[in-house]
Amino acid sequence: MIRFDQVSKRYEGGHEALSQLSFEVGGGEMAFVTGHSGAGKSTLLKLLGLIERPSHGVITLDGQNLAKVGRGGIPKLRRRLGMVFQDHRLLMDRTVFANVELPLMIAGTAPNERAKRVRAALEKVGLLAYERQLPATLSAGEQQRVGIARAIVAKPMLLVADEPTGNLDPTLAVEIMGLFAEFQQVGTTVLVASHDLPLIKRMKKRVIVLDHGRLVADVAAEEVL
Amino acid sequence: MQELPLNESPLLGESHPRGGRSRARPVASWREHHGWSALASLRRLMSRPVGTLLTVAVMAIALALPLTFYLLLGNVQKMGEALGQNQTVSVFLQPTQGGSAAELTAKKLRDRAEVASVTVRTPQQGLDELARMQGFSGALHTLDSNPLPYVLEVLPRPDAGADAVERLVADMRGMQGVDQVQDGGAWRQRLEALLGVGRRAVLVLAALLVIAVLLVVGNTVRVDIAGRSEEIGVLMLVGASRAFVRRPYLYAGIWYGLFSGLLAVGFAVLVELALAEPVARLGQVYAGKLQVDVLPPWLLAAVPVAAAVLGWLGARLVSAWQLRKVA
Repeated sequence: MIRFDQVSKRYEGGHEALSQLSFEVGGGEMAFVTGHSGAGKSTLLKLLGLIERPSHGVITLDGQNLAKVGRGGIPKLRRRLGMVFQDHRLLMDRTVFANVELPLMIAGTAPNERAKRVRAALEKVGLLAYERQLPATLSAGEQQRVGIARAIVAKPMLLVADEPTGNLDPTLAVEIMGLFAEFQQVGTTVLVASHDLPLIKRMKKRVIVLDHGRLVADVAAEEVL
Repeated sequence: MQELPLNESPLLGESHPRGGRSRARPVASWREHHGWSALASLRRLMSRPVGTLLTVAVMAIALALPLTFYLLLGNVQKMGEALGQNQTVSVFLQPTQGGSAAELTAKKLRDRAEVASVTVRTPQQGLDELARMQGFSGALHTLDSNPLPYVLEVLPRPDAGADAVERLVADMRGMQGVDQVQDGGAWRQRLEALLGVGRRAVLVLAALLVIAVLLVVGNTVRVDIAGRSEEIGVLMLVGASRAFVRRPYLYAGIWYGLFSGLLAVGFAVLVELALAEPVARLGQVYAGKLQVDVLPPWLLAAVPVAAAVLGWLGARLVSAWQLRKVA
């Protein structure tokens, strides 16, 4: 599903965020990307969403070379990804329902189908009762779950999350990670960037460890202790 | 909510490997988003009424100015035409010239090709006319004799060129027994030339004010987009195309244009009403020859439409440029 081949990313100003990174994540697999802050986790996820472009190397997503996706193709690619952000990026002036509905509006899904899917997504993250509220009235954990509902509502092939538990207390963090594991169980490929090592260890999934933009360890799920 | 088939929820069903776009209903969803964008942008405008009203008012004034000038120009032109209807050249004979001499001169003039008609007005007719004017009758009684000369009203043929009329006037000045020649045609030409300048000025003014309208809409939309850059960023991240992101701003431009066009028409009609009374009075002075020139209905209908197009264009230009910076 995801394939990085000798990928480097050098930002303007010379900082090299990723250097000659190669790895593969199969379809339906769930993997954590970890490392200290500045190790290149966020850059890796940004390359997948075409928020950034690599300086060198080839990234393939579901058989598609991302270098061949032009400006006009970016929206189409992003519709097939579900992205979850640490600061959840919700629209604060729209209801929970409208926030989750957004990807379906963009995709042009019919209204009754939209309502059905939005409610299913909110049900999944346990927020069905909050659909008419504004995000600001929810707790941080609840807001993050709205962000997750938005990411999964359009049934993405790949779910990508950047520090999704960064602002949450440990109990909530476990709950959120559990949600991601559930999506993997139904066939979605999941890639989560996190620096929370104890939590990652608990999840018993594959762990890709970065340090200064280089791959230093790639631990299979069975080997996580 | 409880009746939702949660266990076979669409989320946990088969995953769509090619994403969720329903290609079966592109037209329906496109129409739906247009409707949504139009309404959403209208609601946004209404949610800050003062700012919207100020923008619309500035645009409306910019649009109303050329309309008003056009209206004034039309009335001045009408006035010129009304005056032009009796573009006679008055030939004042010397006081020594009697009735027979006047008739002789008139005959000579009637023979000329460029002359349509010549009317002889006796000193008595002139005196009667003066007597009818208020304030003169008393003064006229003090006169022992009629001091007025014979006057020939010479009407050139309508198809006679300005040169021919000029030559005629020059010839008449040289004729024996002629004291003075008053040619109303000269100021008519001057008025015509002035109107030409006025028409050109209205065009230039309209062009400038069209640019002003574009700038006002453009700047308003620019500020709007800048204030919503976060929202736009989120939309882009979840896969919105540029066209999708832009649509509400284009509709905002259309609304601004449409409202300002309607308001401009309102201003212009007010000016029309304000002018109606004094122009009508002027018309009475000219014995009902003058009618108020009003803006034609097609123009009043075209202004809001054209303004909406302008608003759309301004929003389009700015949003293309502004969104390039966002993502």
